[in-house]
Amino acid sequence: MLARLRSPNLVPMLVVALVIALLYYPLMLFANLPVAQRALDSGAALECDSALECATQLRSPVLPSPQQLWKGFANLLFPLNSPNAIPLNAAVTALETLVGLLLATVVGFFFAIGIVASRAFERSLLPWIVASQTVPIIAIAPMLVVLLGQYGVQGWIPKAIIAAYIAFFPIAIGVAKGLRSPDPLSLDLMKTYNASSWQTYLKLRFPASLPYLFTAFKVAMTAALIGAIVAEISTISFQGIGKMLAENSRAADVVATWVIMIASAVLGIVLVALVGWLERVVTPWKR
Amino acid sequence: MTQSQPNPHPTPSAASLVSVKDVSMVFPTGTVALQNASLEVAAGEFISLIGPSGCGKTTLLRLLADLIRPTSGSIRIGGKTPEEARKSRAYGYVFQAPTLMEWRTVLQNVMLPLEVMGVPKAEHKPRAERMLALVGLEKFARHYPWQLSGGMQQRVSIARALAFDPQLLFMDEPFGALDEITRENLNLELLRLWRETGKTVIFVTHSIPEAVFLSTRIVVMTPRPGKIETVIPVDLPQPRSFETRETTRFFEIATQVREALRKGHGFEVQE
Repeated sequence: MLARLRSPNLVPMLVVALVIALLYYPLMLFANLPVAQRALDSGAALECDSALECATQLRSPVLPSPQQLWKGFANLLFPLNSPNAIPLNAAVTALETLVGLLLATVVGFFFAIGIVASRAFERSLLPWIVASQTVPIIAIAPMLVVLLGQYGVQGWIPKAIIAAYIAFFPIAIGVAKGLRSPDPLSLDLMKTYNASSWQTYLKLRFPASLPYLFTAFKVAMTAALIGAIVAEISTISFQGIGKMLAENSRAADVVATWVIMIASAVLGIVLVALVGWLERVVTPWKR
Repeated sequence: MTQSQPNPHPTPSAASLVSVKDVSMVFPTGTVALQNASLEVAAGEFISLIGPSGCGKTTLLRLLADLIRPTSGSIRIGGKTPEEARKSRAYGYVFQAPTLMEWRTVLQNVMLPLEVMGVPKAEHKPRAERMLALVGLEKFARHYPWQLSGGMQQRVSIARALAFDPQLLFMDEPFGALDEITRENLNLELLRLWRETGKTVIFVTHSIPEAVFLSTRIVVMTPRPGKIETVIPVDLPQPRSFETRETTRFFEIATQVREALRKGHGFEVQE
């Protein structure tokens, strides 16, 4: 497992990161220069002399400079358990995402089995499932929270439910595909053993669906994370990445907003990597 | 050169293990896959079904295995219907592809039928290990299927079919996808297995040398509509070896099979 971590993939990864860092700087200057020039022309009291210098330290930059991002991170990373710092809020959002994914898996499997087992189930329910996914989550989130609030469900749980709401779809479709993936000969083989329908699921269909499940998990994980953050933004929240984003964008703190966006991207990468790690543990037969 | 002997009603013994009477199979598309096929197989025989694509040989095997139901006619396996035979796990089936489960090791693949059939758990491993030794793969028990060659995978699938000790073995072109050298080796190994276990084998192939080398009798089938053209007994002495393939008698029987196929316009057969 350690050998996998020290894979040669590390080099291209670093190269890509370096290229992005190098491209970012000129792009940032290009975006901020006109704003800096205008600020200079207006004669505002600035602590910089040239437009080039000012472009890296605007209070509301179009794109924050690396120095500003660095400072922003330093401000928002500590203390770890502060309600206004990233770690605690990221942990809450991660919890909502993971619980949401778990819930989505249960519901997704239920629908997948229904789709595979019964044509009528697929025909009658699939359009509704698809319709449920086209409703903007930002519109439905507040209504769901109000609805759940009437039954005393509050705090992070409604967010996890909203995360599950948009994550179950890729899981249902992926698992349905996976459950159907065994070739006809393998199904014939189970028939020659006089295997029950349950045994065929247990010994053939479920294991065969695992690679599909993990592919679906990767899509569903990012969807669940976005769902959790959007739910935090669009409802009353006291914790979470979304709540931080909403607060800081209301306060027009552009740098902090960017820092939080980057933090949520990192959270997404970590969560998807977690799925990849779980996949290697659960499907060791894969090359 | 020996003339082929038309043998429309083959009845080798009074107590047949497999009895096929006037069986026809017409698919919903209207294709007549099998027409009025009759065949009697005694216990301990090695029967090959040979013929070109579309002659109904796989259809006949699937009918025997109750994977499909005939349009008309009757089939008995040990006096039971194919469905009863399947439910009492009377036969093992080896498919064209190894159909191993990629998430199971070789040993676990051989254990699969034992798990499904509710054999006591303590017996799973020793039985599967014995079967692997029988096909010479005991050293690969912990490997995953992808780590094995095509020929080895097919041997695992044979071990799996033997694991629950069925009396009958149905084999549907099990070596069709393998190269000639591997195929001849596996033919020899299969004959040894057949002798050692005393199973009755019904074997589908489209290779004349394979059919002649393996069988006690060859059922020649021809297409459009699929039917049994004739049944040719193979009197080559047992045990057979690589040298058997070079005897005059081997070529005589091969010629007999070839002529029977030609007579029924089944000349697309692989030589």
